[in-house]
Amino acid sequence: MMTGNELSTEIKYPPCKLACPIQTDVREYVQLIAERRFEEAFATIRKQNPLPRVCGRICTHPCETACKRGQVEEPIAIAALKRFASDGLWRDQYEAALPGKSTGHKVAVVGSGPAGLAAAHDLALLGHGVTIFEALPVLGGMLRVGVPEYRLPNDVLDEEIHTIVDLGIEVKTGVRIGKEIKLTDLFEQGYKAVFMGIGAHRDRKLHIAGEDKLKGVVSAVSFLRGVNQAEKPRVGVRVAVIGGGNTAIDSARSALRLGAEGVHIVYRRSREEMPAAKEEIEEAAHEGVQMSYLTSPLEILGRDGKVSALKCIKNELGDPDDSGRRSPKPVPGSEFSFDVDMVIAAIGQAPDSSLVAEEIEVTERRKRIIVDGPYTLVTTQPGVFAGGDAVTGPATVVEAISAGKRAAISIDSYLRGESPATVESAGPTETERLSSVIIEKTTKFERCLKTSLPADNRVKGFDEVEAVLSEDVAVKEALRCLHCFLGARLDKEKCISCLTCVRVCPLGIPTTNKMGEITIDPFACQACGTCALECPVRAIDISLDSRAQMAQKIEKGMAESHQPDPVIVGFFDLHGNFGSSDMERLRQGHPNVLPVMVFGLRRVDTFDVLKAFECGADGVFLAGCAPDTDPFPEATDRVKRRMAHARTLLDALGIDGARLEVCDMPEQGIVDKELIDGLIQRIKEAGQARSE
Amino acid sequence: MITLEQKKFQEIEKMTKGYNPLLVLGCETCAAMSFAGGQQQVAELASAIRIARKTSGQEGEVLEDAVARQCEPEFVDLIADKVGGCDAVLSIACGAGVQLFAERFQDKVILPGCNTTFLGVTEELGVWSERCAGCGNCILDKTAGLCPIARCSKQLLNGPCGGSMNGKCEISKEVDCVWQLIIDRLTRLNRLEMLEEIFPVKDWSPAGHGGPRKMVREDLKS
Ligand SMILES: Cc1cc2nc3c(=O)[nH]c(=O)nc-3n(C[C@H](O)[C@H](O)[C@H](O)COP(=O)(O)OP(=O)(O)OC[C@H]3O[C@@H](n4cnc5c(N)ncnc54)[C@H](O)[C@@H]3O)c2cc1C
Ligand code: SF4
Ligand code: SF4
Ligand code: SF4
Ligand code: SF4
Repeated sequence: MMTGNELSTEIKYPPCKLACPIQTDVREYVQLIAERRFEEAFATIRKQNPLPRVCGRICTHPCETACKRGQVEEPIAIAALKRFASDGLWRDQYEAALPGKSTGHKVAVVGSGPAGLAAAHDLALLGHGVTIFEALPVLGGMLRVGVPEYRLPNDVLDEEIHTIVDLGIEVKTGVRIGKEIKLTDLFEQGYKAVFMGIGAHRDRKLHIAGEDKLKGVVSAVSFLRGVNQAEKPRVGVRVAVIGGGNTAIDSARSALRLGAEGVHIVYRRSREEMPAAKEEIEEAAHEGVQMSYLTSPLEILGRDGKVSALKCIKNELGDPDDSGRRSPKPVPGSEFSFDVDMVIAAIGQAPDSSLVAEEIEVTERRKRIIVDGPYTLVTTQPGVFAGGDAVTGPATVVEAISAGKRAAISIDSYLRGESPATVESAGPTETERLSSVIIEKTTKFERCLKTSLPADNRVKGFDEVEAVLSEDVAVKEALRCLHCFLGARLDKEKCISCLTCVRVCPLGIPTTNKMGEITIDPFACQACGTCALECPVRAIDISLDSRAQMAQKIEKGMAESHQPDPVIVGFFDLHGNFGSSDMERLRQGHPNVLPVMVFGLRRVDTFDVLKAFECGADGVFLAGCAPDTDPFPEATDRVKRRMAHARTLLDALGIDGARLEVCDMPEQGIVDKELIDGLIQRIKEAGQARSE
Repeated sequence: MITLEQKKFQEIEKMTKGYNPLLVLGCETCAAMSFAGGQQQVAELASAIRIARKTSGQEGEVLEDAVARQCEPEFVDLIADKVGGCDAVLSIACGAGVQLFAERFQDKVILPGCNTTFLGVTEELGVWSERCAGCGNCILDKTAGLCPIARCSKQLLNGPCGGSMNGKCEISKEVDCVWQLIIDRLTRLNRLEMLEEIFPVKDWSPAGHGGPRKMVREDLKS
């Protein structure tokens, strides 16, 4: 018994963090957004991610796929929240990390895509002197020359790259390593290590007739490179894009924007197998791109040396292949052709590794750079490391960033002469399943809608399609988070098997065996806090607004309070989603109120009310959120009853129980003026009565 | 379990007045399960006493602690040091706990913060009711598992009396007539004939009427 306050905590990552290749503290920044602590939210993101504004726009967000909320209705809009937190004006106040003390080592980073940028950023922070070598005249890799501006505007990318380069990184553009400068030359120039983040920029060929000799056939990489320049390429009237990845979709959407009248995507499998992001496919269809699924090109037909039509064949799906996807099988006799005057080949890219292939080993077929393992990233050449698309083949931004970060750690150990750190992955990334009972009992809240340009306007140019969330929408979205693993922590040594938690949990999570041993599933718990407040022996605490945090909020607030007498502590439910203007109105209209924000009124205990009075408050009120925003209405009802008990106690204490008020959020304004005025009046009367 | 409830705060405040430091001592078994003496209630009560003292201009420190069971000497002895530094201890355990405490700490003022109510069951969270009177001679085998000593207002052994109306006891409409319940249950069990046997006069000596009770097990004792 009585083992002090340590609770048996098994630290577990929430699904969102576990699924993120760079293990972003999603839950933390989502919570900070819910609390309207935007600057801290941004700092939390930036700490792990040197390209937050890029990721907020185009990350494939595996975190959302894993998100626990997704099992209830829809996942938290994590990427949109990241963009909200990183686009805001508060990012100016973010204090960028400073480069560490110089180690005197020089490192060459080849390629300035997300892998190279992330490696350069982290290496600079570790104190190494970094030079980026980039073959193209511009920095950013595929982010610059692949992803079109309507998804990732140039100025956004510029700003992010500047912040990184400002760490003191030297940049050499227009230098193709392997050509003018060999890898060995770099070592001769004093570089102690090299990171190869050269991406995958060589389009795979269609290998069909007409591909090489007809005018009007282009590879997606070179087409998009043109699209991303001020001088845009000319497109045909009817365009066929072959392939099913993001590159194909972006080529098609760009072709529409450049004036094509009809754009067809020709993909050999069905929509389910399409590797492009679901949202992107939807957006493209919405803008008018036509999809021909289960179709393979057979031949590009021409007239006068120019493309005139595409001959195709229909497929049906056969048995799954090595990649687990069902492979397409041509249906005999189903050939057809349609008129086009431009064909864009977007069937995948391979690294352009031929220039360095004499110095480091690459794979036979796909020309990917060979490394010894995912954490060390060492190539066959000592001192040379590689990561990103160059190693994995075309993948995603966040995977490239992750590789860059891992490489930085590995290079750092190499430069220190230590054996490379083998970081093990945090664990399984498969999200546990919630039981149907819990899903049913969970209050549903709709996911925020994104605001996009109307499709008609979109195709007229390259303006960014999707808008950033507004403050209120972002906060509301963040409040949907279920706070995975921030819930009830049970100290089995203290538990006396009284069964209260089993009886009060609105989701039925605590369970008992016949010997009274209580189990609380930390994954299923949603941190409502009811059990912790009702447990008579304090065997449970909650990580979100723990007992200590609650006490600290009250003590700190009271110690720093500038409120005029009588001071009234007002507990506000964050689910009320008060904006800064609400808070300003509160300050102006009710200067006596010291606001204490909590994740649910249900978290306020009699003890907290007493604490406020103990700290010198003259009155206390609890302001609940609107019922339709409350995830646990029954638990909130419990609070009201608890406060009735607190009032009796206050009466007995000689503090008029009427100095404690509970109210729901009025339709307008943050609290009822009458309520506060009444409270102040009563406090003053009570004060006079006492002094008489 | 033994159920208890905290005394009214005014009474507690009065009895603890002037003791400095005062230790509020919880009991983490029956008292906690009655939401009267667990650590949560210790924290709340101590905080209330502090505020009351502050508002009425009194001095005095209020300390908090709890033990697993105040009715066991080994547990109480574990906090001897803390007790030593206090003027008085407010025990929020049942009467048994308070008294054992008084025995273990001969020179210390001990004050009861709770009223011990009964031996009972939890009907649901926040609702308890009496079931056993501790009479020392259990007769539940003859009464369909329902105790007339604890639950009949008149402790009748050959009930019901004439005051039983529509299943309720004449003392209050809220109180079930336990004899009615016994008859109903025996009917369901098809054992109504059991009531034909008349209870002899009960020997109340094991119930404490023969003086304070004590139980000794020679085989266990040291
Ligand atoms: C059209 C398109 C859309 C995409 N959309 C998304 C999306 O929505 N979400 C997502 O997560 N991912 C998307 N991707 C994938 C993502 O862009 C890539 O996975 C990522 O950029 C890979 O990063 P990297 O640093 O490995 O390589 P890259 O970004 O390709 O950068 C490699 C850089 O190295 C340079 N380089 C190459 N060889 C040399 C050399 N020898 N010397 C010097 N420099 C050299 C190249 O010029 C280039 O700048 C998309 C890709 C494309 C093409
Ligand atoms: S509910 Fe919140 S903490 Fe849980 S996975 Fe989703 S974003 Fe992460
Ligand atoms: S409420 Fe507390 S003491 Fe009671 S069973 Fe749950 S954890 Fe144990
Ligand atoms: S914190 Fe809430 S959801 Fe979690 S176990 Fe306790 S009562 Fe249930
Ligand atoms: S002292 Fe009383 S309340 Fe505490 S455990 Fe013993 S019998 Fe129960």
